[in-house]
Amino acid sequence: MIGAARRDWLLTEAPASRRQARLGQSYRLWMAFSRNRLAMVGLGIVLALVAMAIFADVIAPYDPLRGGGLRTARLLPPSAEHLMGTDDQARDIFSRIVHGSRITLMVVALVAVIATPIGLLVGTCAGYFGGWVDTVLMRITDVFLAFPRLILALAFVAALGPGIENAIIAIAITSWPPYARLARAETLTIRDTDHIAAIRLQGASSARILWGHVTPLCLSSVIVRVTLDMAGIILTAAGLGFLGLGAQPPQPEWGAMIAAGRGYIIDYWWVATMPGIAIFVVSLGFNLLGDGLRDILDPKART
Amino acid sequence: MNISRRTLLASSVAAAALLKAPLAWAATPPDTLIQAWAIDDIISLDPAEVFEFTASEILGNTYDGLVGYDVDDVTDISGVLAESWEVSEDGKTFTFTMKPDLQFASGNPITAADPVFSFVRVIKLDKSPAFILSQFGFTPDNVEETIRQTGDMTFEFEMDQAYAPTLVLYCLTATVGFIVDKALVLEHEADGDFGYEWLKTNYAGSGPFVIRDWRANEAVVMERNQNYWGEPPALERSIYRHIPESATERLLLQEGDIDIARKLSPQDIQALRGADGIKVQEGVKGSIYYLGLNQKNEYLSHPKVREAMKYLVDYGAIADTVMEGLVEVHQSFLPKGFLGVLEETPYSLDVDKAKALLEEAGYPDGFTVTMDTRNTPDITGMAQAIQQTMARAGITIEIIPGDGQQTLTKYRARNHDIYIGRWGPDYQDPHTNADTFARNPDNSDDASAKPLAWRNSWDIPEMTAMADAAVLEPDTEKRAEMYRELQREHQQVSPFVIMFQEIEVLAMRDEVENFIIGPSFNDNSFEFVTKG
Repeated sequence: MIGAARRDWLLTEAPASRRQARLGQSYRLWMAFSRNRLAMVGLGIVLALVAMAIFADVIAPYDPLRGGGLRTARLLPPSAEHLMGTDDQARDIFSRIVHGSRITLMVVALVAVIATPIGLLVGTCAGYFGGWVDTVLMRITDVFLAFPRLILALAFVAALGPGIENAIIAIAITSWPPYARLARAETLTIRDTDHIAAIRLQGASSARILWGHVTPLCLSSVIVRVTLDMAGIILTAAGLGFLGLGAQPPQPEWGAMIAAGRGYIIDYWWVATMPGIAIFVVSLGFNLLGDGLRDILDPKART
Repeated sequence: MNISRRTLLASSVAAAALLKAPLAWAATPPDTLIQAWAIDDIISLDPAEVFEFTASEILGNTYDGLVGYDVDDVTDISGVLAESWEVSEDGKTFTFTMKPDLQFASGNPITAADPVFSFVRVIKLDKSPAFILSQFGFTPDNVEETIRQTGDMTFEFEMDQAYAPTLVLYCLTATVGFIVDKALVLEHEADGDFGYEWLKTNYAGSGPFVIRDWRANEAVVMERNQNYWGEPPALERSIYRHIPESATERLLLQEGDIDIARKLSPQDIQALRGADGIKVQEGVKGSIYYLGLNQKNEYLSHPKVREAMKYLVDYGAIADTVMEGLVEVHQSFLPKGFLGVLEETPYSLDVDKAKALLEEAGYPDGFTVTMDTRNTPDITGMAQAIQQTMARAGITIEIIPGDGQQTLTKYRARNHDIYIGRWGPDYQDPHTNADTFARNPDNSDDASAKPLAWRNSWDIPEMTAMADAAVLEPDTEKRAEMYRELQREHQQVSPFVIMFQEIEVLAMRDEVENFIIGPSFNDNSFEFVTKG
């Protein structure tokens, strides 16, 4: 009964307060989202990843950095004792993958936190002000877009020096341009609308309009795009790790783990395969989640 | 109509052939030897500068020295380009006579002017390996008077002291003593550089093969020397391909795309031992694996810390697992097979002892240092195993991977904390390793000689004097004892954690015969290789 009442309160056509309206809107989105099975799978994977990262110390049965005896515990196949086997340094691969989720999540989160605001700022400014501001900002964006992302990230890491922090910076530097493009396109459609004109007539400053009225409207499509890009970010980070430019040994970064395992791939398949599966599952999870979010957040696609 | 039908027929036949092609059994050409190796350490092909494993082997097959030795019995020294030599009564001057009627690959005749030019060039250019010759008292200022041509085919080699004659001759067998073609090199001289810029990537020798092409991190191509003065080799061409991954080498070898795999991991060697059509060849090498601890680092310069680190490597386990079959435990700077070798191995993994030593040193909680690591699987594997055992005593090691050139360049500029490396003796006399591990005549940043002790900023006037005394000792037994003495002290106090001696293992296709694995890399020879 209580559930039904709350549901009615959320779904009412005439909300009594702003809060009720906002919550009601969120609830509708959630209902739309939860109808999409694949999106729910994606959400599940991402939540599992987050949980794994938070509780890594509890979940992982062994130390991810310190292996067992080189003579006794090296390159063991998957078993009940070592769920995913052990690697060439006698370390438990499952424990390394669990701890590696922290690195993966950190990369994804930091890149999103760094690249999204830059992209939004550049894109909204270019779209709102137009003219030479637009030209300058968009040409800079074009310069970045002119290079393949991995190649540009490689160049930045080579210049900054190998390491996970530098890899994050390099990926962030190379991933903002699409968000800027997107935000600019959205801003162009928004800036001439009546409500923006009304605020401008009331004397609001450009900064206030951009921050308070343009950015929120761009946000949903940018979020969708960022979520869809997460898989790419993970792959780029893994690629840098594979090439020895990302996380350094003995950090359990998944790409670096694959690189270490490729020397053993013929006789000890699990060393490279397990982190490969991890990368695959997580990338798939973010892609499914992104797809689901696009379906509900993009007003043009909604039917 | 007719024409188009014929074209159609032809193209379908071609398409069928193309489709079939991948099914055909791959094989290397019968007159070409293709070896897969990691050749990223090559920085030059100039005998005056080469000091690296791969490049040494290449020069060993393409250049000749004055003298050489039998790889099965290194005491048997004989002339190569030199016909004979005499030592003066005071023991300071060698007079060499060249063999008549020999010629370089370019067709230029070999006369006494060529060795004189080659040695003067080495001393004046003064690159890393120059000390092998300059230790006999040659300097850029006096070399033109002390190494002098006395006739068409004779020249004199005057040293500052009466060194043991075998030491001198062994030094001349090193790559730095190889003879370059004076006339050819001078054609390419620019601004008085003795053709240094040109010879970096070109060739001016007289060996069985000529170097045709070196593409960094890709391939080195050698061809039969058409003007070779000796018996011409059976092979038309010999190629090194840069394939650093062991698994890739193994697959290529099994598929017949290469003839010899040079850089195999232990597990791939094990797998290949029983494989059809493949055989494995081994040879004990003089090379030593060690850690160099830079004394410019405040932690590493503490004697207790140095000692503690020697207890933090699991020598036995690494030799039995990560490096199985490729190394044996060895903890002194002279490798087995050398005069005066010390076979004691006092160190093994002992974390408690190391912790106590670190506490005495004032670092009970350990510290953090970096380790420059060449990104080949063997070195990386060892580095990670060491990283784990060091961590047990609180020493955090950050591994900085790089290719051979990057890590070496940094090491030579002594900008590292710890360098994990491999050292191969330059010649077969014990002085070669004593000279680099236990001698550091000038520890200043702009020193002219830069031995390993210098690279690790280890200032050791007393040990340098001991090593110098051993060189002049004429009695072989006494000399051997002096080296053992030196190594015992070195083992205790040095900033070198000497770990292993290398066993070179290579796998080849059954039809490859007569590959020679010598004690040092410039003795590895494919001159006589045939493919049946």
